[in-house]
Amino acid sequence: MNEQLILPSAKYKHKVGYLGISLFVVVAVCIYLKYNPFLIFADFTPIQRLLGEMLPPNFSVLWQPTIGKAIAQTGSAAFLATFYGCLIAFVLAFLTAANTMPLRFIRLLVGGFLSLLRIVPPLVCILIFIIAVGLGAFSGMLALIVITVGMFGRLFTDIIENTEHSAADAIYSVGASRLQVIRYAILPQIIPSFIANCLYAFDVNIRVAISLGIFGGGGIGYALYMAMQVLHYQDAFALICLIIIMILLIEKTSDYFRTMILGKEKLR
Amino acid sequence: MLEVSNLTKVLPNGRKVLDGISFKVKKGEFVGILGPSGAGKSLTMRCLNGLLKPDSGSVVLTDDQGFSSDICQIKKRELRKVRQKIGVIFQGYHLVKRASVLENVMIGRLGQISTFRSLFYGFTDKEAEEAVKALEQVKMDHLSGTTTSGLSGGEMQRVAIARAIFQSPALLLADEPISNLDPSNAKVIMKLIRPLSENIPVVGVFHQPEMTAKYCTRVIAIKDGKIIYDGDPKLTNDQLVEIYGEELHQLEQHEQPVLAIQ
Amino acid sequence: MTINDFSPKRYYKLVLPTVGLLALIKLTAWVCGAGFDKLGKGLLQGISFVKIMFPPDWSAFPEMLEPALQSIAIAFIATVLGTLLAVVFAIAAASNLTNPIIRNITRFLIGLERSLPEIIILLILIAGYGLGVFSGIVALSLGCVGMLGKLLGDIIEEIDHTMIESLEAVGANKLQVIWFGVIPQIVPNLVSLALFRFEINIRLSIILGAVGAGGIGYELDTSFGLLQFHRGLTAVLVILVMVVGAEQLSHFIRNKIKLKGALK
Repeated sequence: MNEQLILPSAKYKHKVGYLGISLFVVVAVCIYLKYNPFLIFADFTPIQRLLGEMLPPNFSVLWQPTIGKAIAQTGSAAFLATFYGCLIAFVLAFLTAANTMPLRFIRLLVGGFLSLLRIVPPLVCILIFIIAVGLGAFSGMLALIVITVGMFGRLFTDIIENTEHSAADAIYSVGASRLQVIRYAILPQIIPSFIANCLYAFDVNIRVAISLGIFGGGGIGYALYMAMQVLHYQDAFALICLIIIMILLIEKTSDYFRTMILGKEKLR
Repeated sequence: MLEVSNLTKVLPNGRKVLDGISFKVKKGEFVGILGPSGAGKSLTMRCLNGLLKPDSGSVVLTDDQGFSSDICQIKKRELRKVRQKIGVIFQGYHLVKRASVLENVMIGRLGQISTFRSLFYGFTDKEAEEAVKALEQVKMDHLSGTTTSGLSGGEMQRVAIARAIFQSPALLLADEPISNLDPSNAKVIMKLIRPLSENIPVVGVFHQPEMTAKYCTRVIAIKDGKIIYDGDPKLTNDQLVEIYGEELHQLEQHEQPVLAIQ
Repeated sequence: MTINDFSPKRYYKLVLPTVGLLALIKLTAWVCGAGFDKLGKGLLQGISFVKIMFPPDWSAFPEMLEPALQSIAIAFIATVLGTLLAVVFAIAAASNLTNPIIRNITRFLIGLERSLPEIIILLILIAGYGLGVFSGIVALSLGCVGMLGKLLGDIIEEIDHTMIESLEAVGANKLQVIWFGVIPQIVPNLVSLALFRFEINIRLSIILGAVGAGGIGYELDTSFGLLQFHRGLTAVLVILVMVVGAEQLSHFIRNKIKLKGALK
């Protein structure tokens, strides 16, 4: 026998101990929140009632011009936010990456700014922008830009910092300036993953755009929220179907192009 | 005792991959199966532990306690019972990563304990001690607490053997157990497998005639789904050429000139 | 090809996409009602508004603690229960453990869930179960199942098929294969993903709270709604501390797992 060996009975006691403590914590939190996790399995009546009210979906609502406009607004907000957000994130990433920005002071400053954008909750963003530019798709778009920059700024920085240093060294060695190195050594390496991430950003942004719409960002999210509020559940169900189809379509297209750009194995 | 008779398997495209394979393996025998790639060795092995159902023929396993079963005829539930009696050592070790060496050995008895116990309590201290004894037999007991991901190929194969020992099977199958190992590790593994054949029949597939000549008690050669040789493990050069084809011989003859051209 | 080469190929490759992109930006900006003049005016207004918000109303701070705790509790319980459920779904969605029919049905359900933002699930649940913590937790748990179910399912599918076969070769049944062969291999990834999801759930619990799932998000929304901006700022600060705290905790634990060499 050796001292490394842990007998199964000791292991069992350990396991039971940990399990007991975790179970206690979970049950305590459940009691604190007055939450019964089994309710959803035990009591189907609310869902049954809801389904009864939702079916059949009223698809005629989708032909109303307001819905068409709402879809256009959501799509536009997501597209513009992706475009400007990725552009800003791209520029800021060069200012934070250690191999493109020599000044430590600026690196820290811009890096801190990116971190701040990342931790600001989307809800706070949209509330502030609604006060700044009023209700509507524009404020939703501005909030989305902030979220996009926060999410992808750090990612782009990592991508830039992970480029091959040998290529940059080779170009430095022929006497090129820092900007020339960026143009000829770093840009070619990061462009594919940048474009792929932009597509991914659009995919994410369309979902966030729908969510933010509920808080006054306009678009299809707001239309759904309104239908729910006035208890037009059949209209709401049609809108939900529309949203699912929209998101799935965009996800598949985005996946397709990303696979085309990056090759299958690199898809995140 | 293992009794294989008249195994036949035809692929959907009409190719006969197993064509009337019959042999008997008794206690005390260490049988090495040789043959070129695609001859049907692995298929035979898969038939022996029920992973593959042959079109016709039977594989009857009998042990000292009077247990007897035809592996080719039984249903899935009974198959699990038979599999408890068959220890298998694979080419790719097939250990559970992230679990400790000891746990990997104890997994050998999963089929013998009730599902309820295995999910809620696991193994007993007594079983753990037995597992350590099995590890001592393969000289791996000093590593029983470590995870398997850091082990070398030879060490992993030794754990796999300990798992088979701990399983206390009525038959041990080894599917190319030394193909991924360097020569000295391969010898160690063969030396570990050999004594197991004193109590139970052992059947292994190998690609190394020199190893089977040294450690096996009997050799069976399979070619094109048929048994072409069954007997003494020490094969002559002509017999090897018959098994592996003319190429084997030619390669040896032309070895020098080919190198000279390069 | 030189810089001065204006061949049709170059024209199609460069000029057309640029023009198309500019036109698309113009069009979408018009649909959104966006404009730089509006942005300039709005930014000034926004900055002056942020100035109004200061200083935070510290007297409201004690009132914020309870909702903050509630938000954390919601995120915690949703992560725990959602992860447990996700493991079940992941196993059902892994091609090497289940038959193709169950796998495809599970993958379809997971895909359906993933295509709906959590907040819409919450709206549906609120219509069924009413406002409150219950709907919030269920919505977050479902989100957890969608995300972790897919990722874990893919991780399980990467497990060597022959390893599972070798467990079957000693006579283990399906449950034993899962418990002894699959679970030990996915636990590190599972913990790491669950922690990552906990970060997301903390953020989401704030948004969902504003719609009516309780917690600090509700405080924030009502403070802004009632124009109590100093109080709103206090809520914002509490939220920032929560988000950063959850992130640091999750990083800390994940680094510990990584140091043990458990993560791929």
